[in-house]
Amino acid sequence: MSDSWAVDVEDVSKNFGDVKALDGVTLRVRQGEIYGLLGPNGSGKTTLIRMFVGLVAPNAGTVTVLGQRMPNVAMLSHVGYMTQAAALYPGLSVEENVRFFAAINGTEGGVKAALEFVKLYDRRASVVSTLSGGMRQRLSLACALVHKPQLLLLDEPTVGVDPQLRVELWDGFKEMADAGTTIIVSSHVMDEAERCQRLGLILFGKLLTEGTPGEIRSRAGRPTLEEAFLSLSQSRA
Amino acid sequence: MSGKRVAAITKRLLQQFRRDRRTLALLFVAPIVILGLLGYLIRGSASAPAVGIANEDQGPLGATVAAALAHSSGISTTTIQSSDGDAKLKDGSLAAYIVFPPDFSSQAQAGTIAPDVHLEGSQPGTIAPVLQALQEALISAVSSQAPGQGLHVQPRISYLYGGPGFDTLDYFGAAFIGLVVFFLVFVVTIVSFLNERSQGTLERLMASPLRRGEIVLGYMLGFTVLALIQAVEVLVFALAVLKVHNSGNVALIFGIEALMAIAAVNLGIFLSMFARTEFQAVQFIPLVIVPQFLLSGILFSVSSEPKPLQLLSGVLPLTYAVNGLRDVMVRGADLSWGSLQLDVGVVAGFIVVLVIAAATTLRRRIA
Repeated sequence: MSDSWAVDVEDVSKNFGDVKALDGVTLRVRQGEIYGLLGPNGSGKTTLIRMFVGLVAPNAGTVTVLGQRMPNVAMLSHVGYMTQAAALYPGLSVEENVRFFAAINGTEGGVKAALEFVKLYDRRASVVSTLSGGMRQRLSLACALVHKPQLLLLDEPTVGVDPQLRVELWDGFKEMADAGTTIIVSSHVMDEAERCQRLGLILFGKLLTEGTPGEIRSRAGRPTLEEAFLSLSQSRA
Repeated sequence: MSGKRVAAITKRLLQQFRRDRRTLALLFVAPIVILGLLGYLIRGSASAPAVGIANEDQGPLGATVAAALAHSSGISTTTIQSSDGDAKLKDGSLAAYIVFPPDFSSQAQAGTIAPDVHLEGSQPGTIAPVLQALQEALISAVSSQAPGQGLHVQPRISYLYGGPGFDTLDYFGAAFIGLVVFFLVFVVTIVSFLNERSQGTLERLMASPLRRGEIVLGYMLGFTVLALIQAVEVLVFALAVLKVHNSGNVALIFGIEALMAIAAVNLGIFLSMFARTEFQAVQFIPLVIVPQFLLSGILFSVSSEPKPLQLLSGVLPLTYAVNGLRDVMVRGADLSWGSLQLDVGVVAGFIVVLVIAAATTLRRRIA
């Protein structure tokens, strides 16, 4: 049964010194699901995502990704990870960056498709240091999905991306999920949260509540997700 | 011009340094370390070259000159057999030896004396004190034995290595070829690996199927390509343009340089783990490079250092590389020489240790 979970987090805790970054989090994400991690800055979202790729080891509990107990380097070629800050090589061109990330994941193809997905194919020869912040963000996304991962982890993927392109990217995410890719997104942007199939609210390292956007709204008794989020946060704070 | 605005900048600067303990430590500790090391090195060194004296003179003059040499402050003498001399030059225990031939005293009667001076020759700085001490000893000996006689002194000088045209550049050039490559490769590696960390791409690499060893090895090969091109350039310039003396195999020099470059790459990766900013990375230069520069035997030969510093020299990779380069270029060593095998082996050993250190510490600072 654990095979059906793309990500299975069991009672995970993590301390950094005195700070409890994660405190007994249990969370499961289905294959092909778009799951949104919501929470204020410093709530533990990024720590959780970094656990999915084995960059952070839990002090307690287990993390299982695509059926493999983490950390496990070999299965990382099936995971795409887009970090919060656009982590790119500024001296390389757009295409060279994507090719590099394809190569370290063991593939060569998919470069053109990835660049077209983020609407940067026309700029493929541009050197990264000449790109705007939004373009870098898109390129970073292309680097995360070029090897067609089964699990795509996006840490605030659309910061600095204009609203029109954001809509197009989300249509793309939906298509990928329909084709079986599991996507976990962390975000502050509530209209993005609306597009997730399920949401998990994280506050002070704890999973506060979990459910579809509709469930969360009705649980809080508020008309919008933003208000629901604020009221749920305050009731626990 | 507003005094308050200027003061704001000054104050901010000092506030920043208050939190950057490392920079402060560097600012105030490094000068003491470097100057202390230099002072100890120079004051504590046995600087007088070791000279062996073989007196075969059947007359009295040889013994008189030998006694005068023994009192000379510029050199320290020991009595040897002339047949042992060359071996002692080779193993480095003597910088020179002087033979007074059996007919030395009778030569003096004839008006021209010709002591045999055998110089090791690779360290130009030791030649002048030896010849000067001999000159002074001869003058004082002759004036006491045969005052007023006009006497020609024509020492027969032979060189084990180098020759009369061998100058300071020939001695330092060999070592500097290695130092230049080591220093530049180290700086470039530590800064670019730090970039990888600070721009976040290292985190991405660690979240990919890449293994730590693969990252270190990939870096090593990439920088080694650059370093080897640089090594060729430095070598060609030194040999063809500066005409630095070389009695050895050019391929062997290149091989030692390549080893140094690889060691520098791995040292750079390893130390980049301990720096958070490029600024802090640059601070490793006085800590890592300057002591090696002082202690590796480039300026002061390791055997003349005070004993405690010799121990320190013995654990620095540059010491072995410099010694190896000098063995090849000045003394014409090849791989059959035990001393060169040791040097190359030790540098290779350092590389293995540094590769392992770089790979094992790689994870620490990302998680």
